[in-house]
Amino acid sequence: MTLTDTPPASRAQAGRRLSTSKAMVEAIAQEMERDESVFYLGEDVAAYGGIFSSTTGLLEQFGPKRIIDTPISETGFIGLAVGAATEGMRPIAELMFADFMGVCLDQIYNHMAKIHYFSGGRVKVPMVLTTAVGGGYSDGGQHSQTLWGTFAHLPGMKVVVPSNPADAKGLMTSAIRDDSPVVYMFHKGIMGLPWMAKNRRSIDLVPEGEHVVPIGKAAIARAGSDVTVVTLSLSVHHALDVADTLAGEGIDVEVLDLRSLVPLDREAILASVAKTRRLVVVDEDYLSFGLSGEVVASVVESDPSLLTAVRRVALPDVPIPYARSLEYAVLPRHDRIEGAIRGVLA
Amino acid sequence: MSENTGTQRIPMAKAINLGLRRSMERDDKVLLMGEDIGRLGGVFRVTDGLQKDFGTTRVVDTPLAESGIIGTAIGLALAGYRPVCEIQFDGFIFPAYDQITTQLAKLHYRSRGRVELPVVIRVPYGGGIGAVEHHSESPEALFAHTAGLRLVSPANPADAFTMIQQAIASPDPVLFLEPKARYWDKADVDVTAADQVLDLGGGNGLHRARVVRPGTDLTIAAYGPTVATAMAAATVAEQEGHSVEVIDLRSISPIDFDTIADSVRRTHRLVVAHEAPVFFGAGAEIAARITEQCFYSLEAPVLRVGGFHAPYPVANIEEDYLPNLDRVLHAVDAVLAH
Repeated sequence: MTLTDTPPASRAQAGRRLSTSKAMVEAIAQEMERDESVFYLGEDVAAYGGIFSSTTGLLEQFGPKRIIDTPISETGFIGLAVGAATEGMRPIAELMFADFMGVCLDQIYNHMAKIHYFSGGRVKVPMVLTTAVGGGYSDGGQHSQTLWGTFAHLPGMKVVVPSNPADAKGLMTSAIRDDSPVVYMFHKGIMGLPWMAKNRRSIDLVPEGEHVVPIGKAAIARAGSDVTVVTLSLSVHHALDVADTLAGEGIDVEVLDLRSLVPLDREAILASVAKTRRLVVVDEDYLSFGLSGEVVASVVESDPSLLTAVRRVALPDVPIPYARSLEYAVLPRHDRIEGAIRGVLA
Repeated sequence: MSENTGTQRIPMAKAINLGLRRSMERDDKVLLMGEDIGRLGGVFRVTDGLQKDFGTTRVVDTPLAESGIIGTAIGLALAGYRPVCEIQFDGFIFPAYDQITTQLAKLHYRSRGRVELPVVIRVPYGGGIGAVEHHSESPEALFAHTAGLRLVSPANPADAFTMIQQAIASPDPVLFLEPKARYWDKADVDVTAADQVLDLGGGNGLHRARVVRPGTDLTIAAYGPTVATAMAAATVAEQEGHSVEVIDLRSISPIDFDTIADSVRRTHRLVVAHEAPVFFGAGAEIAARITEQCFYSLEAPVLRVGGFHAPYPVANIEEDYLPNLDRVLHAVDAVLAH
């Protein structure tokens, strides 16, 4: 087993490189070979291979009894997955877009997340809910949200959000093996899809064989001493780009990739902030009542004297625009991240 | 209607009832819909007598279909009505989540401001009444996190009477969160019919927070059911020599951060209390904003007192889950000791 708490190896290193989507599929396939109670269901996940290539090739490998195309009825098939999980299976249900959570939130929260608790711990719900998140490709306000702040606030489920191919594989392995429901949120912009904006960080080294990344452990994606950027998912890539740029000016940025929101690795946040004393939180979810507030509150609650400056870079509290220029204006992209870093250093 | 004028000592449930009545008298486009709100008058009797007086076309008993209730209300609003929906219990709002967050909250924006959605969703919320599962939730952070919705929660009968009328008059969708544990708390309310309640100026605005108890040593920010708890904590703290200021936020989205910041600049210390889980909750947002706005005024950690990150428990242990007097006082002591 490979335990990875370190950032993905640099591009110069030798080894096998996969896109994030292929790394995710590899973990699912390996777990399906290892455990026949694992199966995958969702809209367009079988014949089509997942609209964001989350299941490419799995139908051919495992057949239609284990890779199941469902009707467009999220309440129906997530309810089915909850039932299968309580009966001892390990289903992976794909909610095509996180934005669609509204039509099935009763199944997700009132059932998937609560059954273990309501049964006094007698009934386990070992299922994974995978879902695509994020914007940047003009898909409008109902197909571009991340909404991880909403999932994280609701007790009873773990929430993981990989940012790179190796973590996508390792967190998927952990999610499938976990006896609690795990929400696995993958950003479309990190999957390495040929039809999305090119992203050099979406293809990287991935360990072969069994690869486990523990849930609840953040990773230092880039070590630095001047300012801590706490972030996750595609924003890790943007933050690393900005850190590379600022390094030329002698500004040393530490980038902390949260990887899990539930449990949240507060120790990693506090350790980094204790070192740099300056905090920027970059979050592609709405600013108010979300992740960025929780991260700042966690630091202030622990010890407000740790901080000398703090900024949050997130989506303003508006629906995500369709127009590319407006969408880019609200997304936490390089210019806003760089501005916030310069702001806390000023 | 003579019994409905002057100042009366009434519980919050009655105050909301009278506010609904005023709004229906004022505007015949206002109509009520929900499960058991007509013949029965609502499980908490908030709509008692309204179907008898306004008829079955304006006070509509719906099927058990929350998604349908909100979807129908959206259509009615687009056609010029001002629907007021009741979600019978907080935990039942999730089947309507898509209609609320994907449709209701976004249509004004998606139509580039061409259509207005004057829909009010009344939700009895919170615990403390010994209810079964799904009947004691506090889901406000989810909706506050959604752009396009307004969220308010009265903490006393007088505010409940005024704020329900203001919410109905709002051109935007409003979630009106009613602290069910406080439904039967009585207070004096001037229920004289008056359009002045719709004047949002001054301290009476729908989204204005209010200092309900002045103090100098520490600020407690609370809303809905926990305002009374905060007031009780302030009374105990006073006996121990500490002057605690209590702010009733009244509105959760938007939050009146100016009132909180003004208070913290004087007291330098802040505790936030709500029933919802604190993790990713309203208290986190308040702590973050106040840190941003009052960075050099804070002299102690901002502490959050609220629900744990576990589902709302069964009734016989809910007192251990709720932010009760002891837990609020513990936070007050910790912040003052810093």
